[in-house]
Amino acid sequence: MNDPLEERQREMGSRRRYDLSDDTGFNEVPRRYRKFYRVWRGTGDCLAPNEALCPVCKVVIRSKHELRPGDRIYCMACMTRLEVQRGEGGLLVANPIY
Amino acid sequence: MEDPDNRDVREDLHALRPDAFYSRVHSFQHWFDSVQGYLDELEQGHRADIVPEELPENRRERLITVLCNYSVGETAALEASSGLVRIAPNRPVKIFLATQVVDEARHTEVFIQRLQELGVADPEAAIEARASAAVREFKRRLLELVDGADWDAAILAQNVILEAMELSVFEAHAAVADPVTVDVLSRVLKDERRHIGFGENELGRRLKRDAVLRQRLSRLKRELDHLVLQTVQDTLEALGLSRDERPDIGRNYLAAVERLGLQA
Repeated sequence: MNDPLEERQREMGSRRRYDLSDDTGFNEVPRRYRKFYRVWRGTGDCLAPNEALCPVCKVVIRSKHELRPGDRIYCMACMTRLEVQRGEGGLLVANPIY
Repeated sequence: MEDPDNRDVREDLHALRPDAFYSRVHSFQHWFDSVQGYLDELEQGHRADIVPEELPENRRERLITVLCNYSVGETAALEASSGLVRIAPNRPVKIFLATQVVDEARHTEVFIQRLQELGVADPEAAIEARASAAVREFKRRLLELVDGADWDAAILAQNVILEAMELSVFEAHAAVADPVTVDVLSRVLKDERRHIGFGENELGRRLKRDAVLRQRLSRLKRELDHLVLQTVQDTLEALGLSRDERPDIGRNYLAAVERLGLQA
């Protein structure tokens, strides 16, 4: 039987990784967490494969790896826990988990 | 020994356990570290180096009326959130609400200061004379819910309905305002994100498992809807925005109530 933890680690290892060391200018959370967020520039702002839009407060959440349906992420700006899901047209969307 | 949650958060915030995340974000320390990013070294709620725009008299008058409406909304939230501290269900929520009280007090103060910068000698008298009847009635109804210790209804009215309305109106206003007002509004908006997120998460958990509560709050939403719409309309008219120029102002509010499963 496969160990689910090992499965998860293998699956995560197959994803593209992203460097979040750049300064996005986002200043609404404590300094050490700012790299995980950026301001949404409105309609037309393209999200990278490691990004999702928080539907509650409209801030872009960034991850250190490519996001896939089922991933759990946090919006620290509005304190919401979200799950990444496949939306209309195949786009990834983030929905709150209450 | 190193706290694994602290190690995780440096490596990947999103790997944090949910209980550790909520404990962190509802703390006073988190609030303090967050607001430092955008409230440091301000004067009267905005950067001191912004050159004020010379406003024509009709635009100045309109801005004064709008700021009077904002002052009533922020004072409502200040009084309501302080009252909610007492009836909050647990200590972390009481502490979060205490940070909201501070935020609302600051908003009230900076809008009053902006009125003074615009030459209003007696802001309280201006608010009394100019604020819309709808926003006053909303305030009265909100405080009635708080006085009745109706936690769920008061959180819906304050942290979902009022905050969503403010978020939408402030964003629309910031798109057409003078530079000083834009700077004030942009910093207030950052606080509003925390308030609306708190409200939606707090209610979302309860509404998910309580159909009776969903029905009761849907009724309250329908009762308050016309006050919300009238307040938004009064404010946008005071801003001088024509119907065509007005953005889809109710979108944030409608999306929030839909996520919560409240009926139209």
